[in-house]
Amino acid sequence: MTQSLIGASVPRKDALEKVTGTARYVGDLSMPNMLHARILRSPFPHARIRSIDVSKARRLPGVKAVVTGRDFPNFIGLYLVDRNIFAVDKVRYIGDPVAGVAAVSPQVAEEALKLIEVEYEELPAVFDPFSAMAPDAPLIHENLHQYKLVPVYFPIPHTNVANHMKIRKGDVEEGFRLSDEIIEGTYHVPQMQHCQIEPHTAIAQVDATGKVTVWSSCQSPNAVRKLLAVAFDIPVGKVRVITPYVGGGFGGKAGVTLEGVLTAIAMKAGGRPVKLVYSREEVFRDTMVRQGLVAKIKTGFKKDGRLVAQQAELYWDAGAYCEYGVNIVRAAGYSSAGPYYIPYMKTDSYCIYTNNPAGGPFRGFGMGELHWALDQQMDRIAHHLSMDPVEVRLINAARDGTTTATGEVLKDIGLTKCINEAARQIGWGTPKNPLTGRGIACMVKAPAMPGNASSAAFIKINEDGSANLLITATEIGQGADTALAQIAAHELGLPVDKVTVSLPDTDYTPYEWQTVASRITYSAGNAVIAAARDARNQLITMAGEGLGIPADQLTITDGVVHAVNDPAKAIRVADLALGLNLPNGSARYGPVMGRGHFIPEGIEGLDPETGQGKKAVSHWTFGVQAAEVEVDPETGRVDVKKIAAVYDIGKVINPLLAAGQTEGGIVQGLSVALYEQLQLQRGRVMNPSFVDYKIATAADTPEMAIGFVETPLADGPYGARGFAEHTMVPTAPAIANAVYDAIGVRITDLPITPEKVLAALRSKGKGGE
Amino acid sequence: MFQPFQYLAPHTLAEACAFLRDNAGKAMAMAGGTDLLVRMHDRHWNPAYVVDIKKIPGLTGITVNGDGGITIGAATTLNAIARHPAITARYTVLAEAAHVVGSYQVRNRATIGGNICNASPAADTAASLLALEAMVSITGPDGERRVPLAEFFTGPGKTVLVPGELVTTIELPTLPAGSVSTYRKLMRTRAVDLSQVGLAVVVAGGAVRIALGAVAATPIRATGAEALLAGRSMPDLDIPAIAREVAAAASPISDLRASREYRLHMIEVMARRALTDLLAPKRQ
Repeated sequence: MTQSLIGASVPRKDALEKVTGTARYVGDLSMPNMLHARILRSPFPHARIRSIDVSKARRLPGVKAVVTGRDFPNFIGLYLVDRNIFAVDKVRYIGDPVAGVAAVSPQVAEEALKLIEVEYEELPAVFDPFSAMAPDAPLIHENLHQYKLVPVYFPIPHTNVANHMKIRKGDVEEGFRLSDEIIEGTYHVPQMQHCQIEPHTAIAQVDATGKVTVWSSCQSPNAVRKLLAVAFDIPVGKVRVITPYVGGGFGGKAGVTLEGVLTAIAMKAGGRPVKLVYSREEVFRDTMVRQGLVAKIKTGFKKDGRLVAQQAELYWDAGAYCEYGVNIVRAAGYSSAGPYYIPYMKTDSYCIYTNNPAGGPFRGFGMGELHWALDQQMDRIAHHLSMDPVEVRLINAARDGTTTATGEVLKDIGLTKCINEAARQIGWGTPKNPLTGRGIACMVKAPAMPGNASSAAFIKINEDGSANLLITATEIGQGADTALAQIAAHELGLPVDKVTVSLPDTDYTPYEWQTVASRITYSAGNAVIAAARDARNQLITMAGEGLGIPADQLTITDGVVHAVNDPAKAIRVADLALGLNLPNGSARYGPVMGRGHFIPEGIEGLDPETGQGKKAVSHWTFGVQAAEVEVDPETGRVDVKKIAAVYDIGKVINPLLAAGQTEGGIVQGLSVALYEQLQLQRGRVMNPSFVDYKIATAADTPEMAIGFVETPLADGPYGARGFAEHTMVPTAPAIANAVYDAIGVRITDLPITPEKVLAALRSKGKGGE
Repeated sequence: MFQPFQYLAPHTLAEACAFLRDNAGKAMAMAGGTDLLVRMHDRHWNPAYVVDIKKIPGLTGITVNGDGGITIGAATTLNAIARHPAITARYTVLAEAAHVVGSYQVRNRATIGGNICNASPAADTAASLLALEAMVSITGPDGERRVPLAEFFTGPGKTVLVPGELVTTIELPTLPAGSVSTYRKLMRTRAVDLSQVGLAVVVAGGAVRIALGAVAATPIRATGAEALLAGRSMPDLDIPAIAREVAAAASPISDLRASREYRLHMIEVMARRALTDLLAPKRQ
């Protein structure tokens, strides 16, 4: 290993294919005899289905299958199995699938939907978490108490609360008594969408043996396989999920999405493949949205700026289904100290059913929403005490030896370095123009995953000295293929272009829990190291025998196994790929195949009543962003001039990709701060298209300064920590804090629109805050 | 997803007009298609025939006339207009308006004729053409007619065109030397958005013409404000009062893009800033 590939800006392995348009996505796939599916959806936010008549649709020429909830009254879901594949007795949001059709063309399928007659009886509906929690609220899931669930979630039976996550760290009332000052704040976050460029798309086929094959634009092929197998009661091995390149995930293609309805339709389609491409409207409304949040935070602190106590009530508008969302609510609970040390804590994080579109994972997994509240609250404390916001954060920053909300003792934490560096990059404390403001926000995030979320990798060595890396991590644009190829090449002593990375096919590629939680470089990276070292050991063993040199005196460089002290004593990897050939014509060993796996050890459950425990998550990644903005007090417009971002990611595997990830996160964070919001009116998405759901454009991109700190993680590959989602989490609160610095008004409900800024300025002019 | 339709590309105006008249209600004319195809995809419009007018000679291109005026073919793309030297130099308001419609890719397809025939109250080029007092040439089965742009729009999505009629050219009248103009667009993001407010201001000789988009059922002129400006110059102008008068011409609604109140407020701010920029003595 003359020159390390770890820390090298290796260009993306998929770059050429993607810039030339030859990369294939599910939408590009077409098959002989393929049918096209369309979904009939509920026009009501909450209604009982009295009857469904599909007879006319079935008779339409070209229609091959019509499916309703009566055909498959099955449930599907990841953590709290609350979702029917098609509505059975009730619909719970505008868009809930009621029936599906497969036909010879999309036009015929759509025509058939119009022939399906559904009789509904409208039910009272609820559209905000507080109405949903009221004692007399209509129940959205009457059978909540009977749903299957992973036993770390705590639904309140016969209510609309699907999960109540509690943190009780010390006696919070005592904490408030020990505080010099107390402030309270309420913060709002609306529902949002991920806005992947590629809509959700899949093809499903059920062959004569009953084997289900699904080609899906998904983040998590193994999760799709498992959830389909459970939902349809078929063995996992009879489901095969193939995932080509994915045009963006951001959490919106995690778990299972459209594969459920599509597989049900394919099961009735006589063995023909059936394709379903969601319209942009369906992507906006019928794939999981970022949950809404109302956060009420009460914080006690000392006059010197030290936090003492925090009481947090987090009311999540989880929408009609929470099969995945319950875990966001849990993650927000165990992360509710944010990146700070708070001795006394009480948190109640409620996952609340409403008749809004169903919530689910979104880049940040609750952290963007949580930090919108926590880091503005921190800013208010600083201003309340007339202290420097950077200073207050340095005083309270989590560090080695402090405890989290769950009582876990932290170590190897580099947050204060990030704060100082981000402040320096934004020019904190230097002179600035009038109407210009600077703000800072810190963040933390851990991979939210069960204790057994594992990764596996295979490596095959080919007779030309190249290697195939087989994994089931999905390439969703984040650069996983490149980073993992770097790791494999580094360990094997091969040039990185000799490593080909597979696309997932669950029949042939080894297990990967999910491509979520910013965990692939960390978890799959460890599996790849193990697989590469396994293959390397096989190569070195054979070479040692062939060369008559002890294995510990051999290494591999550029595809050649050689003596450490004498490069002339060497055998090419290519010549060892299929086994060791001996001079007498015989051979030993056989083809080289490395295998490796990884499971993060020691993640334990938490006490249900106190949320306390030894180790809730595998590890934490901290970071900081600082913003400089200019505000036009006449128009209310916020112009984000610059964002500085500094993260402690343990080890930068690929600086180019790490910077690219950060730039993308900043722009999405800015977009969330200023523009994004699903506009809901009595459960109806009023802006299900890019005409009126605005996202930041290239023209909105600010100047960016990006830096990294490297405090190694003990079980990270080369010390690397999970890093991706983190990049958008603190942008919005940093911008909000900068707006306050500029004009003295605080916007607590996202997005920060010009109209809200003007209204706040007017109210300030009248003496309000 | 589209309903099946037939695509026709006639080579003469007569052929196109006759077909559109004979198939009124079933046929729609297409230039860039950036409005039409989106609505067809969404099933708002389901024409049996789409008549592409881009192959008809004379409908594309920009001509500088002898008197300095400009004639623009209806099927000329917005990008071609935005970068045309004579338009950027002398009809800045139109170049600026053409430049802020949709995205660059959309502007490679979208045409000025399509932008006005779609008759969105928010059409960026419509407000600027109104302030330029453009004339619209129309050809139909019964011959040609010319209509001032001010009389072209009859409501949201509605124009004076009757079945079989096509807009062929748009004429920009000559402007006195020293004329200046600007188009200001209020939008949510910095690019790729529809107007919340569109403001076109043309200072031509002693006259100032002001038009507004997205704040009434059609693009409108702020004639009250124009009267306050007529024949006067700085420093005798009460710009804030005139800006209030510009806002008084508008009757905006509240919708997903902005509230009525914010639109009214912003018309005033935008008008004050635009008038100050155009009328204030230039700093050396």
